Amino acid sequence: MSTTPSPAGTPAPAALVDPVTERAHALLAARLPGVVVAQELAGRHPWIRVTAAGLRDALRLLRDDPTTQLECCHLISGVDWPARKPGETAELEVVYHLVSYALPYDAAYKARRGPQAKNDPWVAIKVRVPREAPEVPSVMDLFTGADWHERETYDLLGVRFTGRGFVPRILLPEDWPGYPLRKDWETPTDYHGIPIVPPEGL
Amino acid sequence: MSEPTRPTIPAARAPSLVSGGEPHHASVTPVGGVAEVHEQQPLVGQDLRTEELVFNMGPQHPATHGVLRVVIKSDGEFVQGLQPHIGNLHRCCEKIGESVPYYQWIPYVDRMDYLAAMCNEHIACMAVEKAAGIEVPERAEYCRVIVAEVQRILSHLFAMGVYGLDLGAFTPFLHQFREREKGLDLLDHISGGRLLYHYVRIGGVKRDFTQEWLDELEAFLAAVEQRLPEYNTLLLSNHIFQQRTAGVGVIDRSACVRWGVTGPALRAAGVDFDVRRDAPYGVYDRFEFAVPHGHSGIAGVVGDCFQRHWVRTQEVEQSLRIVRQALKQMPQGPVMGKVPKSLKPVAGEVYVRGENPRGELAVYMVTQGEDKAWRARCRGPSFSNIAVITETAKGTLLADLVAAIGSLDIVLGEVDR
Amino acid sequence: MQQWLDQLAGSGLLAGLPRGLVYTMGAVGACTLVLLFASLLAGEVVWLERRVAGRMQARIGPNRVGPQGLLQFLADGLKLLGKEDVIPAEADRPTFLAAPVIVFMGAFAAFAVVPFGYGLVPADMNVGLFLILALTSIEVPGVIMAGWASNSKWAILGSMREVAQMVSYEMPLGISALVVAILAGTLNLSDIVAQQEGWAWNWYVLRGPFGFVAFFIFFTAALASLKRAPFDLPEAESELVAGFHTEYTGFRFAVFFLAEYSAMILFSMVTAVLFLGGWSPGFPVDLTGPAGRWIGFAVLFAKTAFLLFTMIWVRWSLPRYRVDKVMYLCYKVLLPFSVACVVGAALQVLVGDAVGGAFGRWLMGR
Repeated sequence: MSTTPSPAGTPAPAALVDPVTERAHALLAARLPGVVVAQELAGRHPWIRVTAAGLRDALRLLRDDPTTQLECCHLISGVDWPARKPGETAELEVVYHLVSYALPYDAAYKARRGPQAKNDPWVAIKVRVPREAPEVPSVMDLFTGADWHERETYDLLGVRFTGRGFVPRILLPEDWPGYPLRKDWETPTDYHGIPIVPPEGL
Repeated sequence: MSEPTRPTIPAARAPSLVSGGEPHHASVTPVGGVAEVHEQQPLVGQDLRTEELVFNMGPQHPATHGVLRVVIKSDGEFVQGLQPHIGNLHRCCEKIGESVPYYQWIPYVDRMDYLAAMCNEHIACMAVEKAAGIEVPERAEYCRVIVAEVQRILSHLFAMGVYGLDLGAFTPFLHQFREREKGLDLLDHISGGRLLYHYVRIGGVKRDFTQEWLDELEAFLAAVEQRLPEYNTLLLSNHIFQQRTAGVGVIDRSACVRWGVTGPALRAAGVDFDVRRDAPYGVYDRFEFAVPHGHSGIAGVVGDCFQRHWVRTQEVEQSLRIVRQALKQMPQGPVMGKVPKSLKPVAGEVYVRGENPRGELAVYMVTQGEDKAWRARCRGPSFSNIAVITETAKGTLLADLVAAIGSLDIVLGEVDR
Repeated sequence: MQQWLDQLAGSGLLAGLPRGLVYTMGAVGACTLVLLFASLLAGEVVWLERRVAGRMQARIGPNRVGPQGLLQFLADGLKLLGKEDVIPAEADRPTFLAAPVIVFMGAFAAFAVVPFGYGLVPADMNVGLFLILALTSIEVPGVIMAGWASNSKWAILGSMREVAQMVSYEMPLGISALVVAILAGTLNLSDIVAQQEGWAWNWYVLRGPFGFVAFFIFFTAALASLKRAPFDLPEAESELVAGFHTEYTGFRFAVFFLAEYSAMILFSMVTAVLFLGGWSPGFPVDLTGPAGRWIGFAVLFAKTAFLLFTMIWVRWSLPRYRVDKVMYLCYKVLLPFSVACVVGAALQVLVGDAVGGAFGRWLMGR
C-alpha cells in the first residue's frame, strides 16, 4: 500500500466524504427526521449516531432501501465511555457495523484518498445510552445474527437489549460478577473458591 | 398398593390426575407431560411413554472441533432442536487488547484463530498501522501476502482433512497433514514458531525471506499442487462423500446474510464476494485470482456442505496462484518501516476487514492517544458462522449435524476469543 | 471328531478312561485350540489392520514390539489389563458385566462349525451354515445389554443403531447364503466345500451369475453386520463418541475389540468357504491326506487373509454412510437383489437338472 507515501501519524485528508456513509446519512435524514443526532462523514472511520429510540427504524431502512442495501449486520461492539473529567456524562456506546455485498468497491475513491482511507462498503451506526441505564432496543429480529453479538455485548459491557426477552450471558458463566470490559471493572480475587491470579503486568 | 408412577388407568379417570382433585393423586403426578397425554390421547399406546432425549454434544466430543458444547434435543436420530454453548475457551483477548501496549497485543491475536495466525496478525497489524498512520514498506506487504496465503492453504488443508474425519474417512486427513506438516515447517523456518508466529509486526514483518526459504516454499507449492487432485479424488469425487454432503446443511444466501456468515460458507451460498478482491487490503489488488463460489454446475445444491468443501478446494488453487504472482512481483527493499518506540496513535477509530480462511476477520479499534487501545474489538468469523447451525441443523439427522458443523470449519479459539 | 476320539480312546494311552470323560476332554481341548487360534489371530488382524492403515496413510504403523511389530497386540492386551476397570455408578451392574462376554461368545462359538481343512472341523454338523447365522446373532442382545446397562445416552444411541443395522442386514446375509445352500443342496459346510473342489469355476462365486451377485451381497452384508466402515455407525466416533462401548474400559473394552476382530475372521472364513471354494486351491488336487489337509488349511487361510485385507482396505478408504442410507441400501438394494438371486439359483438348479450331463451338473452346483 506504499503507492502514496504519507508521513507517519498524519491523519487522512478530511476533505473527502465517504460516499457510502454520505448516502446512508442523506437517506436517514430525509426519511427519519430527528433520528440522526451526530455524524462524521469523512475520515478513516465515518459514522452516524442515531437515537436509541430510532435505532431499529434506522437499521431497517438502511437494510431495505435499494440505494444502501446494508443487508448484513457484521459486528456489534460496545464501548465504555465513563466520565473522565467533571462535567462529562458517563455513557455506553454501541456500534453497529453494517456491510453490503451488493455495493461496489470504489477503487477511484480509494486512489484519491490514499491508503489510510476507508474503502469498503460498510457503514457504522452508533448509539449512545447513559451508563447507569444502558438500554438499547434489540435488533435481533432484523438481523438474526445480532443475537449472539448482543449477548456478548451484554455479557462484557452490561448493555441491556430490550425487546428480546431474557438475554443470557454467552462467554462468561451465568453468575459472573460485573461486566469485564467496563473501564472500572476490577478482577475478583476468586470465583467459587478458585483463586483468580491476574497475569503479571496486566 | 400405592399409585403406580406410570399408571395404566382408563381415560375417564385421567383428568383427576391433572386437576389434582384427590390429594393422593396430586402427590404422585407423574413426570413430564404424562398427565396431558392421558387427557388428550386415546387409551392405545398409553404405556409407551416417549419423550425427547436431551444430551450434550461436547465440550469433549470428537466432532465439535474443540470445546464447543451443543445441547441437542433429539427424537432418536433426529435433531429436534439444538443450542450451542460457547465460552469454554474465552481468553479475554479484547480485555488484554485494552490492557497491554499495541506491540504486545499482536501475539495474543495469533491465539484467536490458531490455525490462521498469520492472517490474524496481518489484519490486526493493519488496524494498528491505520490507526497510527504507519507506512509499511512494499516488500513487507508482499511478504505478508505470501505468508498469509501459505497459511490459508494450510488452514484449508486442515479443514478439508478434518472434514473427512468428521464423515468417518480417516485416510484423507493424514494425507493432507503430510503436506500441512511441510507448510508448518516452512512457516517455522521463517518465524521460529510452528503454529503461533508473531512474524507480521506493526510496520512490516520480522525478517526477510532467504533464498533457501524461497526454494523451500517453491517445493511446498509444487507438492500441494501435485497432491490436490489426489485429495479431491479421495473425498470430492467419492460417492459416499457426495451422498453424505450433497443437499445437507444448506445455508442459502438469505441465511448467510441474516446470520452474518462469511468466508467459504458465504461463497458456497453463491455470493461472489471476497474481501481480498472486493475491498482489497495490502497489495491484494495487484493479483489476478478468481473467487470460487457455489453454483449449480457442480454436485449438491448451492450452499450445502458439499459446495462449502468444494469452495475450499478451489481456494487452495487460487492461493497458489496468488503466492506465485507475489513471488514474481516482489520488489527489493526493507521489510520493516519506521515505527516509534512508543506507539501512541491519536484519538480516533478504525475498522479493518480482511479475509481469513474461515471468513471475515474485522478489527474495530478505538484509540485515545495512549499506548494502549481504548477498545480492541475483534470480529471472529467463526463466531457468526457457528451461530447459524441452530437454524440449519434443526430437523436433520445427528450425522448431518456433525457434517454441518464440520463443513463450517470453526475454530473455537476464535469463537470465544 | 467323534471318530477320532473313539480311536484315541481305543488306543493304549487313554484306554482305561470312561468314554464320556474322553469326549469331554476332547471337547475342552478343541475349544481351547479354537479359542487360542481365534484370539491370537484376532490380535494379529489388529496388527494387520494397523500396518495396512499405516501404509495407506503415508505412515509406518506399529513396528517395535516383536519382529515387524507382530507382538504389538500382546503389549496392547497387557496394557488394557493394567487399566482401571471402571463401572459407572449408575450402570446396571450385572448386565454391564455380562454384555462383553455375550458379545464375544457369539463371535467365538461360531468357529465350532467352520471347516478349516478336510476333516479339520471341531463340529461337523449338518446345519453348520444355519448355526453360524444363528450364533452370530447372539451379538445383538449383547450389544443391547451393553448400551442399556451403561446408562449413557451415547451408548444407547449406538446400540440402537447397531441393533437396527444388524437385524436388517441379517436378511440379505442369510438370503444370499441361501443361494449357496440351494446350489449345494446342503447346509453342511464341509460338504459345501467338497462341492467346490476341482477347478476354480466350481467355486460358487463363479458358478453362474447368481452366485456371483450373492457373493458381493454376502460380503457387503457381512461388513455391515461386523460394523466395519463404511457401516461403522454404531461406534461412529465422530458422531457417537464410541457408540455402545463408550463406558467400557480396560479388559472389558478389549473383549469387545477381540469379539469384533474374531467376527471379522469368522465372516471372512465363511465367505471363503461358501463362495471361494474353502480349502480348495482352484485346481484339482487331493487335499484329504494327513499332510494335504494342512495345505488346505493354508489355502483357506490365504483366502481369509485376502478378504480381511479387503475389509481393512475398504475401511480406510471410504467415509461413513449415514443411517438412513444404510437402511436404504439394505432394504431397497441388497434385499431385493438377494431374493432375486435365490429365485435365480433355484431356476438354475432346475435348468441344470433338465440339461443334464457335466454342464448340467455344473449348473446344478453339485
